[in-house]
Amino acid sequence: MLEIRNVHKSFGDNEILKGVDLKVEKGDIIVILGPSGSGKTTLLRCINFLERAEKGTMDFDDIHTEFKTASRHQINAIRKRTGFVFQNYNLFANKTALQNVTEGLTVARKVPKQEADARAREALDRVGLSDRYDYYPSQLSGGQQQRVGIARAIAVNPEVILFDEPTSALDPELVGEVLNVMKALARDGATMIVVTHEMGFAQDVASRVVFMSEGTVVEQGAPKEIFRAPKDPRTAQFLRRILRDDYEYSI
Amino acid sequence: MRPFHPSYIITALGQIIPFLWVTLATMAGTVFFGSLAGLMLARAKVRRRPLSRALANVYIYMTRCIPSIVLLFIIYYGLPELLLAFGININGFDKAFFVITTFSVLFAANMAEVFRSAYEAIDPGQREAALSAGLSEWEAFFRILLPQCVTVALPNFANALVNLMKEGSLAYTIGMVDVMGKGQLMIGMNNGSYSLEIYLALAILYWALTIVLEKGFGYVEKRLSSGKRTAAA
Repeated sequence: MLEIRNVHKSFGDNEILKGVDLKVEKGDIIVILGPSGSGKTTLLRCINFLERAEKGTMDFDDIHTEFKTASRHQINAIRKRTGFVFQNYNLFANKTALQNVTEGLTVARKVPKQEADARAREALDRVGLSDRYDYYPSQLSGGQQQRVGIARAIAVNPEVILFDEPTSALDPELVGEVLNVMKALARDGATMIVVTHEMGFAQDVASRVVFMSEGTVVEQGAPKEIFRAPKDPRTAQFLRRILRDDYEYSI
Repeated sequence: MRPFHPSYIITALGQIIPFLWVTLATMAGTVFFGSLAGLMLARAKVRRRPLSRALANVYIYMTRCIPSIVLLFIIYYGLPELLLAFGININGFDKAFFVITTFSVLFAANMAEVFRSAYEAIDPGQREAALSAGLSEWEAFFRILLPQCVTVALPNFANALVNLMKEGSLAYTIGMVDVMGKGQLMIGMNNGSYSLEIYLALAILYWALTIVLEKGFGYVEKRLSSGKRTAAA
């Protein structure tokens, strides 16, 4: 459904992505792991053209495009078929929860207002915010804001939802509510690409774990394989460090 | 010395107030053209194109260094000369034209800074979220960024407006008859008597205008940021 090949991206002299390939099939839950600076977030942002990669191609269903030369029309078409959930939520500060969700429907997709409202309410209900339709982002907790962010992403029926460290900015006690929503989405068959540090989520939910380091995909496979028997020493080292940290936190 | 006549303040106000519309109309004209130019300058500053950005900076720096009365005279005497060289005669133009031109030039520089700082105060994530939701750059700007910019810019805009109103009183120096100009004319016709009463009347008028402006903007500000306010509490 989505296949990207040989993605390169630099910021100045700093090469962040050094030829990344990724293939996603419908219903896949891809979890991308890796140390910070490995290019996970940049990869996700390149897929949504929030960053412009210098090299590489993308096939999204029937859309074939080069990252470098993609037209505005193609970019918009790809964005309309994807949902993006940001680390810092990025809810529209001047809109209510409901309006945050309807904006992409009424303005970008020309859905009639009544239908958009109904779909937005349904999406907010799915993330457990039936009682917060008319709240402004600043009146919501971090976890609630992120759930609105997820509702905004799913309301447009995207073919794939991109999650960029959706729980990293949250207080620890709010992480669970967001992960639960994401697990429910996964159960309902959504296609997701998730950049996260939540190892538990990766182990329980991922259909495939992709490990990135220094701008390349080092290894990928089923969570069991990756977590129990990592082939690459970098993966092993990363997992040892993270899992040990998790263990220490739990004391 | 003539005794002070408080009651003449009322008389003076009665004669000055009919000229209030001139003051307000020149202000409105200045705000319109100045904001438009300010918007373009701000755009030149936030887009990272070196040439237009440098030009905008030079413009802002130069105009900020000129006292408004100096620029007013330069434009009043200089602009007709300059345009005459191109065969355009504007000598017969209304004084208000020169006043609005002068203050628009100055107001634009102020507005450029107000707009720029407001724009830069908005988290870039707002634009990204709008784009990834499928909005075009244009839609993202007008539906998401601009409304937030307005809220941020409003207090500074109100300040600039009050300053403009006060500076605008200098227009009498080239002979425009606004409230200040009318006051000066009255003093002249009275051979200099009652000048204190007339200046007090003017002070009261400007004071009242300022209060109206500040209350008005305060109200709008409150309405616009209703969502944010409750959160801070």
